[in-house]
Amino acid sequence: MLGYQNKVLRINLDNKTYSTEPLNMDWAEKYIGGKGLGIKYIYEELTPGVDPLSPDNKLMFMTGPLTGTPAPCSGKLAIISKSPATGTILDCSIGGHSAIKVKYAGYDAIMFEGKLDQPGYISIEDDKIQFIDASDLWGKGSHETEGILADKYGTDTTILSIGPAGENLLPISCINSDYYRQAGRGGIGAVMGSKNLKAVTIKGTGAVTVDDSKKMVRKIAEILREDTTTEDNIWAYTDGTPGLVEACNDGGILPYKNFSDTTDVKWESYNSESIQANKHGKKGCGSCGLGCGNFTKIGDAICEGPEYETIAGAGPNCGISDLETIVKFNQVCDDLGMDTISASGALSYAMEMTEKGIHDFGITFGDKEKLIDYLYLMAKKEGVGADLVMGVKAMAAKYGGEDMAMHSKGLEFPLYDPRGSWAMGLAYAVSDRGGCHMRSYPAAEEVYAASIPPYTAEGKGKLVYDLAIYNAVKFSLIFCDFWALGLDRMAEVMTLATGKQFSEEDMNQIAERVIHLARAFNQREGFDRKDDTVPKRILNEVLKSGAAAGQKIPVGDFNKMLDEYYEVLGWSKEGKVPDSILSQL
Amino acid sequence: MAVKRLKFQKENCIGCQLCMQACSGMHEGAFIPSKARLSIESYYDKGGDIKIGRHVCNLCGICEKECPFEAITIDEKVSVDFDKCTGCSICVEKCPQHVISMREDKAIICDTCDGETWCVKLCPHGALKFE
Amino acid sequence: MKVSVLLKGYLVKYFEGESKRVLCFDEELTIREAVKVIGIDPESKSLGFVAVNGMRVMIDEPLKEGDQLKIYPRISGG
Repeated sequence: MLGYQNKVLRINLDNKTYSTEPLNMDWAEKYIGGKGLGIKYIYEELTPGVDPLSPDNKLMFMTGPLTGTPAPCSGKLAIISKSPATGTILDCSIGGHSAIKVKYAGYDAIMFEGKLDQPGYISIEDDKIQFIDASDLWGKGSHETEGILADKYGTDTTILSIGPAGENLLPISCINSDYYRQAGRGGIGAVMGSKNLKAVTIKGTGAVTVDDSKKMVRKIAEILREDTTTEDNIWAYTDGTPGLVEACNDGGILPYKNFSDTTDVKWESYNSESIQANKHGKKGCGSCGLGCGNFTKIGDAICEGPEYETIAGAGPNCGISDLETIVKFNQVCDDLGMDTISASGALSYAMEMTEKGIHDFGITFGDKEKLIDYLYLMAKKEGVGADLVMGVKAMAAKYGGEDMAMHSKGLEFPLYDPRGSWAMGLAYAVSDRGGCHMRSYPAAEEVYAASIPPYTAEGKGKLVYDLAIYNAVKFSLIFCDFWALGLDRMAEVMTLATGKQFSEEDMNQIAERVIHLARAFNQREGFDRKDDTVPKRILNEVLKSGAAAGQKIPVGDFNKMLDEYYEVLGWSKEGKVPDSILSQL
Repeated sequence: MAVKRLKFQKENCIGCQLCMQACSGMHEGAFIPSKARLSIESYYDKGGDIKIGRHVCNLCGICEKECPFEAITIDEKVSVDFDKCTGCSICVEKCPQHVISMREDKAIICDTCDGETWCVKLCPHGALKFE
Repeated sequence: MKVSVLLKGYLVKYFEGESKRVLCFDEELTIREAVKVIGIDPESKSLGFVAVNGMRVMIDEPLKEGDQLKIYPRISGG
């Protein structure tokens, strides 16, 4: 199929050697690229039960056939491994320019195996691969690291790096690129850290070949105007995700003080307008048709963002409303290489535990100074930092407060309260990597579209399934979350690029396969219905404020949603993929 | 009637490089930005500021003036006569925008896609204009 | 009856680019009716959700004197 480079770069960190091999085209036909194809490789190549921080875990960078073509919003890189935080399959998505550079360097994917004996980084320049000592970079933040490497290689070389958080194997560490973009969740940074791999630099001067590049350029010009830079999607450019602050507050799902309630009277301090007032530029990824990145400066705090998750997580969920503090939190997390959702989740749990007198972590809601100071302790696993970085599931096992440990499978909750959007609760519970909103995003229907009543279990299994299908294929082709293109448009662009006929039905089949496969990986690791849960707070405590006041998700309703989800997918009542489906994957 | 030129407004640039993909897609038969006839790069300078490196032909005419072999003519676009071009590379050196490259001893210069300017057509927010 | 109306996102086009207006209605009406008066089709895919005084409500709720009505377009992604 055209669009692909038909080449995987395999890097052996033990021996500091590398080789190339053809892309497995049988697998590519079934899973396309990105999330799906990456999970397939990891599923086939990892031994079940492997320790995610051992040299036997693998780390894969995966693009798709559209990457490096002008298909709008196709420039994200999938990074796949086994999660140190949850033990599940972990596929992350990072923006910036690394995905297109991988393709222009001549590869569909890069697989990292083994472990370097000393801290090092890898320089990739088309077919020239070098293993370089990084002992002088080890310990430095990602920002300083990128600065040094950009001076050495030039600004057209993309740099992916970890900060001290990844080096210290934090389960909440991330991989950074373009200073302010992350592969954020599940401790993906720790996988790189466990391999002593500080950074990967990629320069690519080659070509991506499609069926008819002139035809594609002409068609994309039309699609860009008709379907991408249109009213439905342009919010990403004009506002970006901060637009969700007001919508979630009005919608009754903006978390407040560790999900102990929702809504915040101070929401106007950190809404989209407040960020627009401090905007100094816009940034998009490679091949982006929208450009969601807001380059924000306020006081001495700088970041690209902050995105909704970071705002809500470091803001109202920690009892904080000061925008400069929130931007600083974002900046420091990016530099140290920590996931803002999990970091703020750990801190908000610690705040509530301290205030309720269950365990004194030395920090309470609203403490702007400690919110930032603690990040440095966390990156170094020093003092209370060592506890916080374990994540809320492990902290609750050690100190109690299990009811208020807001996670699924050990991954801290994204910032939408499920009591105000019941299908969101199901989505968190069944997500393949733990508490995540990116596998299925029902808040869009239950809250922002008001197309289905939020406080019932009726039809929610099917809703979560439909939205999971949409994202599974979207992130395998790869298209960015923010372009709301239909499955028919996805098929059209795939046909344009690859020269192979794709239909909407094909998109559906690929999506189902990907969902089954991700589940199969987790099943092989011992996960089933018992792990598809939400915290007791969601099942037992009603909300006091906002549009969803009085709501909780009764356990009977939760089970009903879960039953329906399994049924639609053809899984057993225990949430297991049957052999008849497994044999087809 | 005034000649149209490519114009670049950096406030509208998001650094997507769709322009370079469009150019190479139309001229090279594949997507290869390293061979595009324009180059625009938006990057964070040490994370503290967005800087934009722009190299776009604006029909300044210096290449035509400097070519010792009269191989370059400009009317509504730049044209290179490959029979006259010797590959001396003086135009590459003198171009203020640094957008001329040599390939197999011939000067490769932006030709506005004969007025179609596909880079402009694929720019999402009008950072590139042809007017 | 005076109701202040805030339009979010691209819906400002219904107020010629302004985001906020105070509307006067002779009679009591539901949000659905007010949305129609503004020119937005309540069944269209462009309409997201509605909120009164900072809280999401169903579209058939009645409006009262002094209410602040917020109308959101569809938002995708997070």
